[in-house]
Amino acid sequence: MNIKNQALAQIMAAGDATELEQIRIDYLGRNGKLTDLIKKIKDAPEEERKQIGLTINEVKKSVEDLIANQKNNFRESVRVWFDPTIPGIKPKIGHIHLITKTIEEISQIFGRIGFERERYPEVEWDWFAFTSLNMPEGHPARDEWETFFIDAPESPKYGKILLTPQTSSGQVREMLRVKVPPIRMINIAKCYRRQSDISHTPMFHQFEGLVIDKGISIVNLKGTLDYFAKSFFGVERKTRLRPYHFQFTEPSFEVDITCGVCGGKGCKVCKAGWLELGGAGMVHPNVLKAGKIDPKKYSGFAFGWGVERVLMMKNGINIPDLRMIYSTDLRYLSQF
Amino acid sequence: MDIKILDSWLRDYLKTSAKPEVVAKYLSLCGPSVERIERLDKDSVYDIEVTTNRIDEASVYGIAREASAILPRFGIKTNLKPIKSASSEFNFVRKVSYLTPTVDTKLCQRFTAVLIKNVKISNCPYWMQERLESAGVRAINNVIDISNYIMLALGQPVHTFDYDKIKGAKMVLRESKKGEIVKTLDGKQFSLPGGDIVIEDGAGRLIDLAGIMGGDLSAVDENTKNVLLFVQTYNPVAIRKTSMALAQRTIAATIFEKGTDTELVEPAILEAIKLFKDLTGGIPEKNIIDIYPNPYKTKIVKISLAFVEERLGVTIPKKDITNYLKALEFECVWSGNELTVNVPSFRAKDIETSEDILEEIARIYGYHNLPSKIMEGEIPTRPANPEFNFEFQLKQMLAGWGGTEVYTLSLVPKEYAGEKSLKLKNPLGTESEYLRTSLMPSLILAAIQNAGISEKFHLFEMANVYIPRPNDLPEERLTLSEIFSGYSYREAKGIIEALTEKLGIETSFESVEAKGFAASKCAFIKCKNEEIGKIGVAENSDFIYYEFDVAKLAKLSPKVVGFKEISKYPAQIEDITFDLPEKTRVGEVIKTINNLQLTISKVELTDVYNNSYTFRIWYHNPNKTLTNEEVEGIRKEILSSVKNKFGGTVKV
Repeated sequence: MNIKNQALAQIMAAGDATELEQIRIDYLGRNGKLTDLIKKIKDAPEEERKQIGLTINEVKKSVEDLIANQKNNFRESVRVWFDPTIPGIKPKIGHIHLITKTIEEISQIFGRIGFERERYPEVEWDWFAFTSLNMPEGHPARDEWETFFIDAPESPKYGKILLTPQTSSGQVREMLRVKVPPIRMINIAKCYRRQSDISHTPMFHQFEGLVIDKGISIVNLKGTLDYFAKSFFGVERKTRLRPYHFQFTEPSFEVDITCGVCGGKGCKVCKAGWLELGGAGMVHPNVLKAGKIDPKKYSGFAFGWGVERVLMMKNGINIPDLRMIYSTDLRYLSQF
Repeated sequence: MDIKILDSWLRDYLKTSAKPEVVAKYLSLCGPSVERIERLDKDSVYDIEVTTNRIDEASVYGIAREASAILPRFGIKTNLKPIKSASSEFNFVRKVSYLTPTVDTKLCQRFTAVLIKNVKISNCPYWMQERLESAGVRAINNVIDISNYIMLALGQPVHTFDYDKIKGAKMVLRESKKGEIVKTLDGKQFSLPGGDIVIEDGAGRLIDLAGIMGGDLSAVDENTKNVLLFVQTYNPVAIRKTSMALAQRTIAATIFEKGTDTELVEPAILEAIKLFKDLTGGIPEKNIIDIYPNPYKTKIVKISLAFVEERLGVTIPKKDITNYLKALEFECVWSGNELTVNVPSFRAKDIETSEDILEEIARIYGYHNLPSKIMEGEIPTRPANPEFNFEFQLKQMLAGWGGTEVYTLSLVPKEYAGEKSLKLKNPLGTESEYLRTSLMPSLILAAIQNAGISEKFHLFEMANVYIPRPNDLPEERLTLSEIFSGYSYREAKGIIEALTEKLGIETSFESVEAKGFAASKCAFIKCKNEEIGKIGVAENSDFIYYEFDVAKLAKLSPKVVGFKEISKYPAQIEDITFDLPEKTRVGEVIKTINNLQLTISKVELTDVYNNSYTFRIWYHNPNKTLTNEEVEGIRKEILSSVKNKFGGTVKV
């Protein structure tokens, strides 16, 4: 009982939480006074042990309760008004452009399957943009590219200077650089065409894939494009190839992807469940020859797709007009 | 090119139970792409994209021929109904009494014509009008409509002359001379560039701009009695050149420029004669003139089974290959695993190599039937090594410090272009006529466009500028630029200092005058003695602008940062406030203090108040703790040097 009164008096007199903790250790700690008493119970006469035990436990409980109580009092006494819901002070939030994000994503997807990202000229010789791609001067296939030409003298070897209308102009440059395959290139660059409407801007971006090695087949092209479509658009999406024609590939394909809006059932956005992704094909032997690669030993495939196009086709982006992508309005830019 | 075909017209040549949707679906998968089906009351119109290499498909018959090869692959019984023209009553002959032509056969590989007398001009029947109009061709009168009808049905352009307007019943088909004048039947007059295919009559008049549009002088009109029906194969290069040069893009020209089949001429003229008899009451001559010195010799392409299987990526039985090709009217002869393919005349223009044959096999086999597998094999290990990752890191840092990335057009108006900027030959307009040599005007414009935003902001862009080089492509210099609106010069410069510090590039700033910046408000950003960028206040504005040459940043930024031992001895830090005279460059004061002693490890400006500048100085020797006496000595040196060099005094 003495101990109890002594302990209670000390607790009431304690000035702060540290003192309280010391009192707790003095009485209830491993070598505390009450703990010692408990240890001594076994020395007491057997008939008294039960009573002593009950008493000590009661004391112990009172001490514990009082300490807890007192601790709480201390906390209350230092409480001051604090509003944890007040708004924070934000650092200025910056924004990376959607195009940059998309280019990064594309590079990473292809990087995982061994493609090297390269960069080739945006202002290019006619030879690389057309002639070396099996489209000699005056060829009707050139009509499909509304090409900007530079007002500058022609090169006797490479012809006119132009703004490259497609990243395919990097194909032969890559072949000439690497010399001996394997080639797995992804060339992402600005391209330019003389057109401006809801689905075209005079400046846009393409990503060009080029694979050349021994025994490359259409099956590999399908595998690569499927992999890209699933990585970029989602695992549930499927692709298909349809015959098409490009001068620099043979066979040539148009690649479609199942519509993300209707899931391939057919809706207003798509054509019977499919959306056109872009062109692809097996590299034409004349293009390999222009790149000084033996078409008898090597084969390959290539594709050149619009960065803006795949971006617009991503679910949930909902940009109604492609030209808006290049708006410099902060109210648009800060959304992403 | 896109063509429109009425379903009922297609079924003139195609016998199948498949519904239009089914025909469209399978055509698209294995052949020409059907973009759309337009539903009519009792019929449908296919809108079909024909690729430039397959001009043989650009007709009703051409599509029927493709469908007859494709649909059976999907288990649909289909037959092609051949063009049924009774040819026995007509003779194809080298000479006729009613026309004396002289033909340059380099320009015209096959020349046929026949005189049809007593033609009655009227409207064509309703069924023909309907077919023409569904294809987007306006019905005019029976003579002209027959020509258009044959062109759409078979893909062979047909022309008609008023026979009585051909003086002397003579024709000379020749190359034009530069400056010759021809008037076409749409009333336009052209001065020819030369090398165009023209026809001159017995009076020396140009009566036809061959393959593109008929001549006004020989045009069929409501009084025409006798018609010369005219079906040719022209040199595609010459047609294209003229059509492009004169901007006369008629359907006939877009077909001829792709190279038509010489063998198609015969069924086309016979079908046309039949229609003339039926619809105009005209009486055709029995002899058709036919100048065709080099008839089609079967083209042969070889291909091996191994090649097919390697490119396709699957094995495929020889008899299947034969079946696919036969359905497309190729003849096949196997010799072991080598295949010899006879190319039909209508495919002679687009089939050259074994790759072309492979495409035919592959598409009829069906791309959808091929498996999908990423290639095995070696991964390339020789990247050209541009700094894509570095560039992205720069952008991330700037965005992290509150910058917003923009993309602006590289094509700028003249007032934004540098003096030697490259100019476009064919710009879309004067707003985008030049290739920029600086990002500055574009970013200023972007900042002005956001003027309505009350908060301060900064916009950055990383893009090429195009620096002309004589007789070469321009240098494409990747540039990083940022513009600040509502920020002080020190805040903007702080971003540069943070950026270069993160990149491990030591920079100095040298005051200069530069184009586009306000007088005396610009500095070069230098590393050692190399200029790597510039910063300043943009002319006539409060915008702060800077730019960096990204390649230089990449080169100067160390790829690996070496570990430095952390000193056991702490630095002593103290703040000293100087009163500096006006027009003192604080950057130079800091540089001077920093260069005094190795033991001055860092100097920073911490506060500015009027002319009082507080500098924080770190005194530090990595090998020992500096004594108070030592620090005192260094401090004295600082004070005297700032006093002597800049006239600065310590504020007490």
